Amino acid sequence: MTEMLTTRRRLLQGAGLGAAALAAPAIVRAAPATVNCAFFVSTSPFMIAKGGGWIEEAAGTKVNWIEVASGAEINTGMAAGSMDFGFGIGSSPTASGISQGIGYEVVAMMDNIGPAEELTVRKAANIKTPADLKGKNVAVPFGSTSHFRLLGFLKINNLTQRDVNVLDLRGDAMLAAWTRGDIDAGYIWSPVKSKLLAAGGEVYKTYDKLEAAGYAIADLIIARAAYSAANPAAVSAILAAYGKSLDVYTKSPDDASVIVGKQAGVAAEVAKSDMAEYDFVPLKTQLGPDWLGTPGAPGKFAGVLKGTADFLVEQKSIRKAPDVAAFNKAINTSYLAKAVG
Amino acid sequence: MRPWMATALVASALIAGWLWLTLGGVVRDLFLPPPGELWDAFVDLLQEGYKSRPLWEHIVDSLIRVFVGFGAGAAVGTLLGLLMGYFPTVDALAAPFVEFLRPLPQLAYLVLLIIWLGIGETSKITLLFLAALPVSAVAARDGVRNVSQARIQVARSLGAGKWQIFRHVVFPSALAEIFTGARLAVGIVYGTLIASEIIAGTSGIGWMIVDAGRFLRSDYVFVGILIIGFMGIALDRLLLAVETRLVHWAGKQ
Repeated sequence: MTEMLTTRRRLLQGAGLGAAALAAPAIVRAAPATVNCAFFVSTSPFMIAKGGGWIEEAAGTKVNWIEVASGAEINTGMAAGSMDFGFGIGSSPTASGISQGIGYEVVAMMDNIGPAEELTVRKAANIKTPADLKGKNVAVPFGSTSHFRLLGFLKINNLTQRDVNVLDLRGDAMLAAWTRGDIDAGYIWSPVKSKLLAAGGEVYKTYDKLEAAGYAIADLIIARAAYSAANPAAVSAILAAYGKSLDVYTKSPDDASVIVGKQAGVAAEVAKSDMAEYDFVPLKTQLGPDWLGTPGAPGKFAGVLKGTADFLVEQKSIRKAPDVAAFNKAINTSYLAKAVG
Repeated sequence: MRPWMATALVASALIAGWLWLTLGGVVRDLFLPPPGELWDAFVDLLQEGYKSRPLWEHIVDSLIRVFVGFGAGAAVGTLLGLLMGYFPTVDALAAPFVEFLRPLPQLAYLVLLIIWLGIGETSKITLLFLAALPVSAVAARDGVRNVSQARIQVARSLGAGKWQIFRHVVFPSALAEIFTGARLAVGIVYGTLIASEIIAGTSGIGWMIVDAGRFLRSDYVFVGILIIGFMGIALDRLLLAVETRLVHWAGKQ
């Protein structure tokens, strides 16, 4: 066994040397040449920092921007080691990623989602109570925070996925299916949500009861642990840059909406009304007991992630969830504390 | 070395490598689950099903889609191909469309199919139908074109009419190529299955793999791949068996 281990080590060393030799010409300085950042095209103050080149400035290196459509893509990219940052990943894919031991940490929050993701029902379908959803086609992107909410909604109303036909549809496909009349309800975020509302939909409020029942959802900023451990100053600087964009939004939502709208490809008014639905938690507040907490005094959020992970296990989406201590460990607020202080 | 020995050798080397990588702790189960975990996942799927549907239902749903999509696509495609091979005018009319459709990636028109046909079974099966049709058509047309002129002339000199020549000479001679085309089409339909089940999926082995992949459930993904792989081999063998029964003379002229 020992012999085998040494052989393996030698083999891996050999492989490492080979890789280093191949990569050598690219490495000029000690710092990584580029930082790989996954992001969503969304109406968020973050787009101000991204569009203004503030992240590049803070990182002190080139940034390779990777546009994603789901948190699942970020989990895959992080597992493969090809992403260093995930901006705006939902709490539900994050809980699943941490449970599966993907080596990343939550370094900050972006927003508390609240009513920004909500169930939209077709006015003509006359859906007024949860029971009215029986036998109806309800679409949601599987694996998203909205999916987590919808399943939670069914559960607290004692409905099963056999009573309600829950369909897996991404944004563009959901809009197409809605336009054709194939679905009567969809749980999603804007811009698709506003388009459903404009095309004969109305809001069916679920978020208040769900939040009371513990089904809170949020968007987070995560960093690959190997990257953040090696570049703590860069992580703090990037978070500070995000904080600056948040200030721009708080001071003048109108000006911010123009920039965000341009970046996200929507009208400024649309960007403004979309952003108004999110609760963009200020960096200082995130360090409080209600959210992430501080390195010494962890906040409530680890419990939210733990609850989310337990629910995913119940749904058989993931195999097992670690205890709340593991989630506390995966939330590293030291960079945020430096960025604020 | 006999062929089966080479197969057994490479298979056991693969399994040994798998055991060494997973049980030796070289890679985490997230990247490659050990055999024990795969077995547990398989048993779990058998007993509990996947996402509120039993495993057999996923398999049957996928099989129905493949059979209907492939069956209709191969039947229509073969008929079209025979006509194209026999009547140059039909060939001139249909060839541009068939040639255009054949190399087209199915994912390219996936959203169009949803808009046109909705999110139900119709769009899924149509996608598979469109994948099978051009391959079968081209195979049947080439089969007809490759029939030896000598045989046709012999039949004609014996006084056979156009229909009789087609029925007794052209069609049987083209049958071998038609079957080759069908086996090719099954492969393509099978490859398209996952794309078709992404459309508003809640069932099917292809959807199961995609959905499990989203949560990085590598154990379910691997079980799904094994199931879909063995189903594919079984389908191919089935076609091969039908072919050897029907076209037993192939290659023996």
